[in-house]
Amino acid sequence: MTLLSSLLGDASQTNVRLEARDLSMGYAQTRIIEGLDLLIPSGQVSAIVGPNGCGKSTLLAGLARLHKPIAGSVLLDGKAIGSLPSREVARRLALLPQDAMAPDGLTVSELIRFGRQPHQSLLRQWSEEDQAIVDAALIAADLKELADRPLESMSGGQRQRAWIAMAIAQATPLLLLDEPTSALDLGHQIEVFELIRQLSAAGKTVVMVVHDLSSACRYADLLIAMYQGRIVASGRPEEIVTSELVEQLYGVRCTLLRDPLSGTPVITGVSRL
Amino acid sequence: MNAFSSRSLIAPPGHHLLRLGPCSLLLHRRSLLVALILGLLLIGVGSWILAAGDDALTPWKALQAAFGQGEALQVFLIQELRLPRLIAGLLSGAALGAAGCLLQTLARNRLATPGVIGIDNGATAFAVASIVAVPTSLAPSALALSGAATAAVLTFALAAGGGARGYRFIVVGIAIGALFGAATNLMLARSDMDAANAAYPWTVGSLNARPADSVLLLGIGLAVGLPLAKLLANALSLMRFSDSVAIGLGVRLQRMRLLTLALCVWLTALAVAVVGPVGLIALAAPEIARHLCNRHGVPVLNAALSGALMMILADWLGRTLLAPIEIPVGIIAAVVGGPFLLWILLRQAPRSST
Repeated sequence: MTLLSSLLGDASQTNVRLEARDLSMGYAQTRIIEGLDLLIPSGQVSAIVGPNGCGKSTLLAGLARLHKPIAGSVLLDGKAIGSLPSREVARRLALLPQDAMAPDGLTVSELIRFGRQPHQSLLRQWSEEDQAIVDAALIAADLKELADRPLESMSGGQRQRAWIAMAIAQATPLLLLDEPTSALDLGHQIEVFELIRQLSAAGKTVVMVVHDLSSACRYADLLIAMYQGRIVASGRPEEIVTSELVEQLYGVRCTLLRDPLSGTPVITGVSRL
Repeated sequence: MNAFSSRSLIAPPGHHLLRLGPCSLLLHRRSLLVALILGLLLIGVGSWILAAGDDALTPWKALQAAFGQGEALQVFLIQELRLPRLIAGLLSGAALGAAGCLLQTLARNRLATPGVIGIDNGATAFAVASIVAVPTSLAPSALALSGAATAAVLTFALAAGGGARGYRFIVVGIAIGALFGAATNLMLARSDMDAANAAYPWTVGSLNARPADSVLLLGIGLAVGLPLAKLLANALSLMRFSDSVAIGLGVRLQRMRLLTLALCVWLTALAVAVVGPVGLIALAAPEIARHLCNRHGVPVLNAALSGALMMILADWLGRTLLAPIEIPVGIIAAVVGGPFLLWILLRQAPRSST
């Protein structure tokens, strides 16, 4: 954990503030998100959940400055994220998009080195610090043995860990992940979620879009439930997840249980209304 | 000693780290070696081409004469007759190689060349028009430059709605190129034999008797464009990822795309005004550079060097193969480039299956 803490670099930066104010996103005719307010709690894992098309990925894209808002704003440490130099944002906020794609033949360590790009300049292209952080990211994501393997030769879970390692190497206090486990089997999902928990324990603020409500409850400190472009509930999973909420979000009936180990809600007995 | 070992320790594999105070420069070892070899080859082949001809000299003598040393007659022969052609070939090859490398990166497609986006055809159409259709006092190369610029501006303007995304730009460019190509053919079909013959080099690309001022212009353009391309190379290497990854790493995608396209058009237009449409250099040179460097970067400089080498070799072949008849360099490039294109396409298959 000390290793991960060292990755965060400047500790004063860990208190980063990301918020959306009256945020509307989408297209002129159809708005996907309408007048949304949100403050991401620092140092915690927030999970955005909701049915398909509810705007959760759009919200994440807005928070990560991938798309411009039609109205309202996203503020990073109080400043409109679009007005900040993109490289400066990249030193505070790392993103793992759903459609992450690398050029053919790129190896794991080469990929992770690209994470240092926002910290480099024309006359400062590499340093001991860069190397130390890349090495630490390899260890944190448990990829030391796979460092020289090309990405396309690896399994989905390993590849996803490599992308997260690149985001770790960016050494940002904030990490945004869009469905980081969507194509992974159960074992690999756990692998990725545990890594995210470790990063959070080391002080990173994490925001992720998660498809599976039970995993979101299990691994997130805070749930942000979205429906039709609005936040309908947010708070600690055990406090806000009720069968009514599940019914509102997904239009299904269910029984809620408590996970005997973690005490978090588990959704079972799902049936159509 | 200690400083040295830590220096070699922290450089990523395959790289050299140059450090000077707070500055550090990361150099890809193999790219450096390739650049060195290509540079030496250029000097060697260049002086050898200078020396070869009806009045044969030794390459060393030719090189000396190029710098004004030796017998007056030889100096005249080299400096006035052979050197301008060699320089025109070197510069236009370098510009086309670099431009091809830029566009291929931008389009994320190894088959994209500046010729694809209509610049070549615009230049050809204007140059041909000045010879066969519209009487004008302007030299064909000046018109070729304005033709290339016209095609580029048209493509930019019509593709602007798409936010200068590489894909839309290329599709519009293909259409513009087709229009200019058709115009060229129409003009040639309606002109008499002599005029068509005079226009012929502009339709295939040739280095025969290029005007000195357009070569000078190309030299200046290259001196500005190449360093700029090298400066962009780091951000360009991020553009090979998906858009969202590149933005996440701090690339201002929109601005980078426009800048890269503008640079590519700039280099191509100046080169085409000198040599005409020799698009295959722009296709093959970056591929050769990537192959030699064995690396997933954006080898702009090595693409320029291999482009220059290809161009002077193709020109030399064209002059000697069927001497005294001269084959235009564009035809040689196409004859060599066609099979090369096939090789690229066929080589890809086994790679993707692994």
